[in-house]
Amino acid sequence: MIEFRDVGKRFADGTVGLEELSLTAREGEITVLVGPSGCGKTTSLRTVNRMVEPTSGSVHLDGRDVADVDPPELRRGIGYVIQQAGLFPHRRVIDNVATVPVLQGLSRQEAKKRAAEVLERVGLSALAQRWPAQLSGGQQQRVGVARALAGDAPVLLMDEPFSAVDPVVRVELQDELLRLQAELGKTILFVTHDIDEAIRLGDRVAVLRVGGRLAQFAPPDELLAAPVDEFVSGFVGRDRGYRRLGFVSATALRLVDLPTRADANGDSPDSPDRAVPGEWTVLLDGTERPSAWLGPDGARHDLGSLYVTDGADAASDAAGTLRGALDAALSSPAGRGVAVDGGGRYRGGVEPDDVLALLDRGTTR
Amino acid sequence: MRAFGYDIDQLVIAHVLLAIIPVILGMIIALPLGWWAHRSRGARRVLVPLSGALYTIPSLALIVFIPVVLGTPILSPVNVGLTLTIYTVALLVRSVAEALDAVPASVSLAALAVGYRPAGLLLGVQLPLAVPVLTAGLRVASVSSFSLVTVGALVGIESLGTLMTDGFQQDYTAMVVTGIVGSIALAFIFDALWLGLGRALTPWSRARAGV
Ligand SMILES: Nc1ncnc2c1ncn2[C@@H]1O[C@H](COP(=O)(O)OP(=O)(O)O)[C@@H](O)[C@H]1O
Ligand SMILES: [Mg+2]
Repeated sequence: MIEFRDVGKRFADGTVGLEELSLTAREGEITVLVGPSGCGKTTSLRTVNRMVEPTSGSVHLDGRDVADVDPPELRRGIGYVIQQAGLFPHRRVIDNVATVPVLQGLSRQEAKKRAAEVLERVGLSALAQRWPAQLSGGQQQRVGVARALAGDAPVLLMDEPFSAVDPVVRVELQDELLRLQAELGKTILFVTHDIDEAIRLGDRVAVLRVGGRLAQFAPPDELLAAPVDEFVSGFVGRDRGYRRLGFVSATALRLVDLPTRADANGDSPDSPDRAVPGEWTVLLDGTERPSAWLGPDGARHDLGSLYVTDGADAASDAAGTLRGALDAALSSPAGRGVAVDGGGRYRGGVEPDDVLALLDRGTTR
Repeated sequence: MRAFGYDIDQLVIAHVLLAIIPVILGMIIALPLGWWAHRSRGARRVLVPLSGALYTIPSLALIVFIPVVLGTPILSPVNVGLTLTIYTVALLVRSVAEALDAVPASVSLAALAVGYRPAGLLLGVQLPLAVPVLTAGLRVASVSSFSLVTVGALVGIESLGTLMTDGFQQDYTAMVVTGIVGSIALAFIFDALWLGLGRALTPWSRARAGV
């Protein structure tokens, strides 16, 4: 259990990071701190492991004032995961994970054994011998989580751990955290600025406003159903709209035909030449994959982001997400987005009006 | 091997020792100073310009000035060694500070967060990560030292520089050229050595995605 008792932090330059935060993160639960950037989330998290010393109030871990514990000792008993993973670039994955057990006094060999167990648990055994630079962003974050678990700490602090990875991987990481949590039952204090993430992960969610002032602290459904004030409803509502599009399938979206033409740089003489003079034309390479827009000016333009229908092949017509469709429609220089199938092959065009019509039909609420 | 009436082996050994020992000593002294400059803005404001200024003192001036201050014999190699040590420190203080600056703050922060104490952080995380920048500084200091060692020959301290000064006096070009080529070759050999050592210590720095 983590207890904040009237915790305040005024930095040396006079900035108020926190004023009087009182909050209890319950044992075995995920407590999420969510709020706009600069509202004091990171500061509050760091008062727990004494990376930041409060200027007033106190933080208690299982009833014990953390100010009474030697900071390095304290930190070895608290897992900590940050946004850029903070892996040690000069240590292989397994040695990164073994760091905490070594600091806790285990022999190098025992520590490695422990690290191997943890890697196994999070399904990363295959990466044990890699250097951090050889991992994708998502893999780095997972190693960061493994390292935090390796010390067997009952408490985890996570500071926007999944914010730097793309939305698809982020959802995977969130699912994995929930799975691990179901097995391990840690006391987790999780910081994010993403209300969707907060709602997916949190047993209880604390919405903070600037100054680290608690606006509302409640289970997610309560937060959504009964926001206490304008700030909370604004925060819960504003971000949710667009983000949630990422989970909504654009089932009813119709694809339109676009003028296409074989890309002169490509090698497909037999691609049907359907260029329309004076119109935006999609250039297709030899494998039917869009390579660029050909503008009415005859110049090549970036495609913008593509709308990926979920189908693995052209025959499948499963829909992609509404957010993908919206991004494609709005980012294309041609005023219409390009749709491709799961294999990256051209499927058709996306009209912004069609996407907006779908949004209007209330699909997103 | 003898040539031009000199024991060349002995000159080479003297040259190498006189160039390398100051580089190593200089590094040992520069490490804590550089760390201090990295930690404290005040220390940096004094140490970095001061070490820069040291480097502008002419080497010959230092070599003849040191015996006056320390009372060492005028012909002692210590005068040259000390001079080169001072130059190495002058070059490396800034290097060390910048090498430590270059360690990503997120990594140092993560190290503190998992429970490193300051000494462990420095030795276990920051210094290993500083090796690439440190190696670059060390290579400059080493090349500079191998070249400056020859100046000692002007006041009678033996090195390959002796072939240059004596060859010049005797108007013996082959002897001068041997001295120059020899000292350049030694500088290159040790440069390659530092480069190799730096690479051996940093296998991680060559790791790239998919390798
Ligand atoms: N070391 C510091 N010195 C001065 N101000 C700081 C420091 N750290 C954070 N702040 C300020 O405190 C406020 C809260 O910061 P932070 O806790 O990092 O916010 P969040 O994590 O919610 O984005 C911000 O206004 C920030 O600029
Ligand atoms: Mg933050």
